[in-house]
Amino acid sequence: METQFLVSLTLILATFALYIGIAVFNTAKKTSDFYVADRGVPPVFNGMAIGADWMSAASFIGMAGTVMLLGYDGLAYIMGWTGGYLLLTFLLAPQLRKYGRYTVPEFIGDRYKNDTARLIAAAATIIISFTYSVGQLAGSGVVIGRLLEVNTAVGTLVGVVLIAFYSALGGMKGITWTQVAQYVVLIAAYVIPVVFMALQLTNNPLPWISYGEVVSEFTTLDQELGITEYLVPFTEGSKWQFIALMFTLMAGTAGLPHVITRFFTVATMKAARWSGAWALVFIGLLYLSAPAYAAFSRFILMTQVAGSQIDNLPAWTQSWVDTGQLSVADTSGDGTLQWSELVISGDIVVMATPEIANLGIFVIGLMAAGAMAAALSTAGGLMITISAALSHDIYYRSINPKATDRKRLAVGRWSIVIATVVAGLIALNPPGAITQIVAWAFALASGTFFPALVLGVWWRRANGPGVVAGLLVGLTVTLTYIFLAKFGGITLLGIIDTGAGIFGAAAGFLTNIIVSLSTKPPSQQTVEEVTDLRYPEQLIYENGEVWVREKAE
Amino acid sequence: MKKIDKKTADAYFRTRTTLIVIYLLIGFCVSYGVVLFAEPLSSITFLNMPLHYYMGAQGAVLTFIFLLFVNAIVSDFVDRKFGLLDLDKEDEDESGKAVNK
Repeated sequence: METQFLVSLTLILATFALYIGIAVFNTAKKTSDFYVADRGVPPVFNGMAIGADWMSAASFIGMAGTVMLLGYDGLAYIMGWTGGYLLLTFLLAPQLRKYGRYTVPEFIGDRYKNDTARLIAAAATIIISFTYSVGQLAGSGVVIGRLLEVNTAVGTLVGVVLIAFYSALGGMKGITWTQVAQYVVLIAAYVIPVVFMALQLTNNPLPWISYGEVVSEFTTLDQELGITEYLVPFTEGSKWQFIALMFTLMAGTAGLPHVITRFFTVATMKAARWSGAWALVFIGLLYLSAPAYAAFSRFILMTQVAGSQIDNLPAWTQSWVDTGQLSVADTSGDGTLQWSELVISGDIVVMATPEIANLGIFVIGLMAAGAMAAALSTAGGLMITISAALSHDIYYRSINPKATDRKRLAVGRWSIVIATVVAGLIALNPPGAITQIVAWAFALASGTFFPALVLGVWWRRANGPGVVAGLLVGLTVTLTYIFLAKFGGITLLGIIDTGAGIFGAAAGFLTNIIVSLSTKPPSQQTVEEVTDLRYPEQLIYENGEVWVREKAE
Repeated sequence: MKKIDKKTADAYFRTRTTLIVIYLLIGFCVSYGVVLFAEPLSSITFLNMPLHYYMGAQGAVLTFIFLLFVNAIVSDFVDRKFGLLDLDKEDEDESGKAVNK
């Protein structure tokens, strides 16, 4: 393990040096640079940065395992997290880009001409991003801890220092180019092992095409063992839970402030459309690979581990048994390990693959660097978003409107440092499982921002009182349902806490519409501004007339 | 600045909105539609997998990616048809570097 430790450490340090080097090279100078990278990021690279921002420790480490353990029911995550980009790119991104603000709370406050709405939105941004980043830091602690063989708490602290350093230094511009590098590292780390695994099991280097062969054998294998069949739908929850979860993840994606902020960094509405399309290509590469990981790992566990002699298991099982993530107790005492005697944690599926497929220490080290890239890039984007909400939406717009650029940058940097440290301290002793925390963040986003943004962009009649009521009711309903389903045991149609967003979003939409209609219509200026969003940025709508913007402008 | 007919601008908006509704309907069918009819679809096999599983693991994601690119390409075409992308500015736009303050 000595050599493995050195190789992992070297690869992680080398990639970190690269990220920090890029961040230092691109040190932010102006306020606009700090938040939105001067709107000069080309769509392909912006797509990669969105991908890195998006794919967190949970996607990288946990998702393949979730699919392996849940079978068909786990696919709600695959469709939900990719489908969100349809809603985002079709319904929101180009219009938000044309409106031209730095942050989501700023858009909500200005569109609805309501300061209370801006403050609620800023608070919601902080709550959602903070919850999400606690999960990321906890995840990075697990990875650093496991791969560098140090205590998880020490691993978390190492992550905190790194994130605070480069987020505060570079701002969004540093982060954007850093995240492009992180995307390349994480996708290489994710795809290389599964390609080798496909070669070994199916003699085909393209896992996406070949894993069907393996999947088709599961039905017989499962029936022989008499266990829940992998391919049969709705064995782990009701059909409505599947749909509610998928909706929550889609709407949550379209309402997550740190993802939307990315679309403020493109030059034009056209670039926003292309960024969304490229982002889903880069994200899809990982999401299409996850079910292949799941199928291959399950196949190996069923055919090579289960059924073998208890004292003659493959060598790689021992190191994972030691971490407590895999349990192979021969409870029946017949000397053979039965499938039912094998208990595996979903989190090890991806991380254990290089060892299962015997790919050598370099690939294992690459895996470590990739997992760290996933955790750090998402956490970095979240921190910038929290900092923008605090320093821009709350400090500059409400507390000290006369603040200079320099002063606002300082507040932004300090809020990153403080937020990272506080999130890190909570992550030392996380309040729940990582995937659970992440799911709540999505439910909250789909209950608050999704209705407020969609109505704000598409419905001119939506007004200030409507959005304030909508945000508050959406938030309350989501939180109440999570609480009732989780602790009160009260559920509707079998929908559990992770699907709470569907109720929050419905309540948010209804409340916004009803309250808007029963109060005064928004001002003429607001109606004009929202009408203007119907047209591309070359056109300006004013006093019922449409003008073409001159090139010289 | 020169004025253009509001009717033209509204025709642009209607075209774009219609297209978006079509894209979203397709996206809805391949995800929610397949889930709703998962049981009957499971008897069909595609790439060695039952169709409902294939759609969840690959088909829906590939359709989403396809729709986003169709949207990006068709939208550029619509912009051009309405005369909103003039040629020399477009070159800058392709790289996305045109700074539009």
